[in-house]
Amino acid sequence: MKHIYDDEADVRTKAAIRVMSLFFVGLIIIAATTSPIATGTKAGERAPALEGKFYNGSGGWQTFNLESYWDSNWQEGDVSGQWVFLEFMDTDCPYCVRSAEDMSLNAADFDGSNPQWNGAIVNFMASATELDINGHDSSRAEIVAFRDKTADSGQSCAGSDCGSRPGSAHTFPYIDDLDQDNMKEWKVGGTPSYYLIQPDGIIAWSSSENPGEDSRDAILSLVTRESADTGGA
Amino acid sequence: MQFSVSSLERVQIRVVLDMDSNIQLLIYLIPTLIGMFLVLPTGRVIASSLEETLPSFATERGRVLSGLLLTCVAGFAVSIQTLWISSKVSEGGNFCASSTVFSCDDVIGNTAYNTDPIFGIPWGGIGAAVFCVLLYLAYSTSLEPNSTWVDNYLKLGTALTFGGFLVIGLLVSYEIQMEKICQYCTTAHIANVAAFIGFYRLMKLNESGEWNQES
Repeated sequence: MKHIYDDEADVRTKAAIRVMSLFFVGLIIIAATTSPIATGTKAGERAPALEGKFYNGSGGWQTFNLESYWDSNWQEGDVSGQWVFLEFMDTDCPYCVRSAEDMSLNAADFDGSNPQWNGAIVNFMASATELDINGHDSSRAEIVAFRDKTADSGQSCAGSDCGSRPGSAHTFPYIDDLDQDNMKEWKVGGTPSYYLIQPDGIIAWSSSENPGEDSRDAILSLVTRESADTGGA
Repeated sequence: MQFSVSSLERVQIRVVLDMDSNIQLLIYLIPTLIGMFLVLPTGRVIASSLEETLPSFATERGRVLSGLLLTCVAGFAVSIQTLWISSKVSEGGNFCASSTVFSCDDVIGNTAYNTDPIFGIPWGGIGAAVFCVLLYLAYSTSLEPNSTWVDNYLKLGTALTFGGFLVIGLLVSYEIQMEKICQYCTTAHIANVAAFIGFYRLMKLNESGEWNQES
C-alpha cells in the first residue's frame, strides 16, 4: 500500500501552523483596515493628553481637557477647523517672561479677531509649570498675575513684578501644571516650548524639532489659509 | 506639510463605526460564556442533549476541551478587536466612546495605560498572542490527547492563565483609576478566567486517571 502520510509528523506542528496562521490573519486584518498614529510630541504624531484646571480671566479655575478642541472629521485644507498653539512655560523663567510679548501679538493676530488674518482660527493656550530650579517658586496667584499682567499684585515673575512683564495682558487660558504632570507627559525638555497642533489633534510643528524657527513663521506657513497667495497678517 | 487620514480610510472607519459596538461585543461575549459554561461541571446539562450531534460532548474531557477551544478562539478574537480599536482611536476615530462608565474608547485610547509598562506593547496584542498560545496548547491536546507531552501542556496552560489573573488585576486597577470600564477588555478577562478553569479541570482529570473514561 502506498504511503501517503509522514510517519514522523506530529500534531503539534499541525496545530502550531494553524494557530499561527490565525494569528497572522488577525494582524493582516488590522494592518489592512487601520493606519495607527503614534501618540507623541513630534510632527505627525497625535498630541498626548493635557488635562487639569485652567484660568481664563473669569470664573476661577475650571476643568480643562485639550481633547475637547479636536475635530476628528477635519480634513486638510478645511479653513473652519480651529488650530491650537500651546506654550509650555514657567512664570519665573526669564525667557518665558520676555516671550510674553510675542504671545500677546500672535494671539491678537491669529485668534480670529484680526480681520486681516484670512486663515483658520488659532486657539492660544499656555501650560504654566514650576521648574525644579532655585528661585522658581510659582503658584496659581502668580500665574493669574502673569496672565492678567496685574500691577503691584505682590507676585514676582523672574525677579520682577509680574505686572511689569512685556506685552499686554493675555486673553487666552492658562493651565495649572505646577505639579509638572503635563510637562512630563509631553516630555518637555525646557521652557518655553511651543507646539502648533492641527484641528484633528495631530502635531504640525514643535519648537524643539525646529530650533531657530520663529513660532509666528510656523503659524503663517502651516495654518490653513483661504488662499495661498495672500500675505501675512 | 499637513497630516491627514485619506478619504477611503475615512469611509472604512465610518462603515465599522456605524455598527453598534455593544452588539458587536455579543459576537465575542456569547461564545465566551458558552465556553465557560462548558468547562464548568454545569456544562453536562446542555452537553447531554447534544451528545448525538456532537459525540465529543459525551465525555468530560471532550466537553471541557470543546469549551476551552471555544473560549480561546473568542478570547483571541476579542483581543484582536481591542487591538483594532486602539489603532482606530489613535487615528482620531470613535468606536465605543460613551459618557457612561462603559466607554472602551476612553480605556483603550488612554495612552498612559493602554500599553504594557515594560515593552510598550498594546494590551490587545499581548492578549491575542497569549490566547494563540493557549489555543495551541488546547488544540494540540485535543488532536492527540494521550501523548506524553499532554500533561506538560495542561500544566503550562494552567500556569499561563493563572498568571493572567495578575495582568487582569493590573488592568482593572487602571479602570478604577480612570473610573471607566472597557467592555471588550472585560470579555477578554472572562475568557482568561474560563480558560484557567478549563486547563485546571483538564489537568486534574489527566492526573486522576479518568482521562480516557467513556462518560
